[in-house]
Amino acid sequence: MTPTASEQHAYADVDALRQTWSSKPGLLGWLSSVNHQEIGRRYILTAFIFLLIGGIEALLMRLQLAKPENTFLSAGNYNQIFTLHGTTMMFLFAVPVMEGMGIYLVPLMVGTRNVAFPRLNAFGYWMYLAGGLFLYGCAFFNMIPDAGWFAYPPLSGPQFSPGKGVDVWAQMITFTEVSALCVAVELIVTILKMRAPGMSLNRMPMFCWSMLVQSFMIIFAMPAVMIASTVFLLNDRTIGTHFVNPAEGGDPLLYQHVFWFFGHPEVYIIFLPALGMVSSILETHTRRQIFGYPALVLSLAGNGFIAFGLWVHHMFATGLPEIGEAYFTAASMMIAITSGVQIFCWLATLWSGRLRLTTAVHFVFGFIFIFVMGGMTGVILASIPLDLQAHDTFFVVAHFHYVLIGGALFPLFAGFHYWFPKFTGRMMDERLGKLSFWILFIGFNLTFFPMHWLGMLGMTRRVYTYIPGLGWENANLAATTGAFVILCGGLIFIANALRSRGSGERAENDPWEASTLEWEAESPPAPYNFPNLPVITSRAPLWTPASERGIVIGLRENRREILITEVLGTEPHHRSVQPAPSLWPLLTALGFSIGLTGSIFGFSWYYVASGLGMIGLIGWFWPERPLEVDP
Amino acid sequence: MSEQRTLDVSGLPPYDISNQSPIFWGQVLMCLIEGSLLCMLIATYFYLRLSVDVWPGPGVRLPDLGYSSWALLPLVASCAGSYVASEAAKKNSRAGMLWGLGLNLGLAIVFLVLRGLDWNSLNFTWASDAHGSIVWTILFLHSYDVVADVLMTAVLIVFVASGRYGPRQRIGVHVDSVLWYFLVGIWIPLYGVIYWAPRLIGGTR
Repeated sequence: MTPTASEQHAYADVDALRQTWSSKPGLLGWLSSVNHQEIGRRYILTAFIFLLIGGIEALLMRLQLAKPENTFLSAGNYNQIFTLHGTTMMFLFAVPVMEGMGIYLVPLMVGTRNVAFPRLNAFGYWMYLAGGLFLYGCAFFNMIPDAGWFAYPPLSGPQFSPGKGVDVWAQMITFTEVSALCVAVELIVTILKMRAPGMSLNRMPMFCWSMLVQSFMIIFAMPAVMIASTVFLLNDRTIGTHFVNPAEGGDPLLYQHVFWFFGHPEVYIIFLPALGMVSSILETHTRRQIFGYPALVLSLAGNGFIAFGLWVHHMFATGLPEIGEAYFTAASMMIAITSGVQIFCWLATLWSGRLRLTTAVHFVFGFIFIFVMGGMTGVILASIPLDLQAHDTFFVVAHFHYVLIGGALFPLFAGFHYWFPKFTGRMMDERLGKLSFWILFIGFNLTFFPMHWLGMLGMTRRVYTYIPGLGWENANLAATTGAFVILCGGLIFIANALRSRGSGERAENDPWEASTLEWEAESPPAPYNFPNLPVITSRAPLWTPASERGIVIGLRENRREILITEVLGTEPHHRSVQPAPSLWPLLTALGFSIGLTGSIFGFSWYYVASGLGMIGLIGWFWPERPLEVDP
Repeated sequence: MSEQRTLDVSGLPPYDISNQSPIFWGQVLMCLIEGSLLCMLIATYFYLRLSVDVWPGPGVRLPDLGYSSWALLPLVASCAGSYVASEAAKKNSRAGMLWGLGLNLGLAIVFLVLRGLDWNSLNFTWASDAHGSIVWTILFLHSYDVVADVLMTAVLIVFVASGRYGPRQRIGVHVDSVLWYFLVGIWIPLYGVIYWAPRLIGGTR
């Protein structure tokens, strides 16, 4: 039994809170908003638009491959489209959508009013949006990358990729990585310093743990990709450095090492938040606390560490020393242990709980089935002799789509159905939801399962066509058919979301009888999240009798005041006043964007970026009156 | 209506200029990001070293130990200015902040002048060979960070000198010092790599 809103309101002046925490009205208010819910929603919506674009690109590829010697796309266009598809899905959809979920949910789950650095949060979103617009904007000027989503030199180098497409790709990375790093910093500080009193680390929701580990992974992985794409590739192409030029002492393999030092953790950066979502959904829908909480947390952290020791398994075919490769085989198989522990904890939770079979749970089951399949082909690919056979074939394409769609997209859809009432105040339609699940599930397997086959029959990835008589026709046609089945499932999902948003059943604060704090806030939450910040005494605060819980009083309501607590035990330490909405994050992002866009043409544009960025930052941090902070 | 258990926090301070402040944690994480970037460049340096027999290539003069080593003195000494400024910020002493930030700024500028002279003495560019590329990248990125922090310090001096400051700007002074300690600390291994590594493991294999 949770305290009702009216009981809480007795202690809080909600009108004052609303006035203090609301964004300003109108267009300027929209552009200057620093509210984590609004920015989280923007991330999610923008990412879904990019998912749609990336999906259309996938359909174009499947149409081209539907029959042998097809002439629907030219070889050049095919190269551009698979490059855009991979780049869009990895950098403009998968990471940002997980960040968006984190930005929206983490402050609610830890029981505070906003993320730690609200303006940085807004800045991160604008940089992400600018990066997406940059990539697709340049496409109108025929500057389209075509060297694959990881752009290996020498193919992507100045000699073999003339034109500006690869430069656009390399600098697009900078935009999205800056954005991801901003989110990582603010989520870590939000989680470590702003948790509700009583929420010691061992009472933190699993989703917050997953975002915490993921954010630290971003901090250690993302700088590597900026080095690979900007320092190595872009500088080699624009100012004549020699990092990947063997003629002058450089080494193309160096690029692969540094790229995959980022690229492998990237998979887990996408995947860990999904694991957190699965744990949250299962806990709620089995109506028992998640089985093996310490084991799950340790596995998450273990995944985070081991993920940094796997990158060479993307490079088994490059002729590295075998003893080194063997180490990476062992490490690659080791991650099956930490992932396996989580699967078994969820199975135990399912076994011993009272399951409610909602759409979200359907997607979780889909995740377990598909992801376990992808995990098994992963173990196959971790073995060097098998990898050498399957390298760069459709077997690999099948594997990583099982892992990424199964491991991230299905949990994301589960999470979307689960938290939709919180986002919008309305329930999603269960009937349409289950229908979309089954169509997506069948379509997915119809598309990607035959690709295992194709890979073993020798069809290499990234070929724009093939000759008849190789025995590839039926499997390719099945895959193309499956892609359109996925499209149908996706359209039903979109229709369901739009329809439910407008006229779905009204949602209570806590329609699922869940255990975590975000369900105590209104649906959708007020701009201040909670009238009074909660004080909690257990891991499942909403399943704890209200008489054992408490609320924080004494935070000022007429300014944006939050509570800072100690890292481990969450003893309240001090109050802190957050900055007001501001246009400066947008202007700063605009300044950086102008400079970074120019930088693909000349190095001196970095000075433009720095100058404009500096002006933006001074405006951002300009001392606002009143200068003093009264007690 | 039932009585709620309440936790009254109105007695807590409304700000805190210390390592408990969120912005301090943010700054530390920014340093971690920058640190992992620079560590990756150190790894790159040695990776490139291992792929050639002669390091640096023929005709390349080793980076000079003169200016670069002398430059360490003002750089390390400038931390004293940062320390004074950050302690003064905690005590809200305007004079102390100005003195500390000014000392930090002055010594940082001396360092940058010596770095400039050092750059002029290099007989290779980023486009000469892989050694030139990595050395210039490290030098450029570190200098970029230093210049950015120097400008930030200058802006803070203007705020404090004009009296346009409050607790938020004082926290800014504190975290500005944290960033400076990092930039000085990370330079020591970078200096070792650029100037000493080619002497110790350079030449021919």
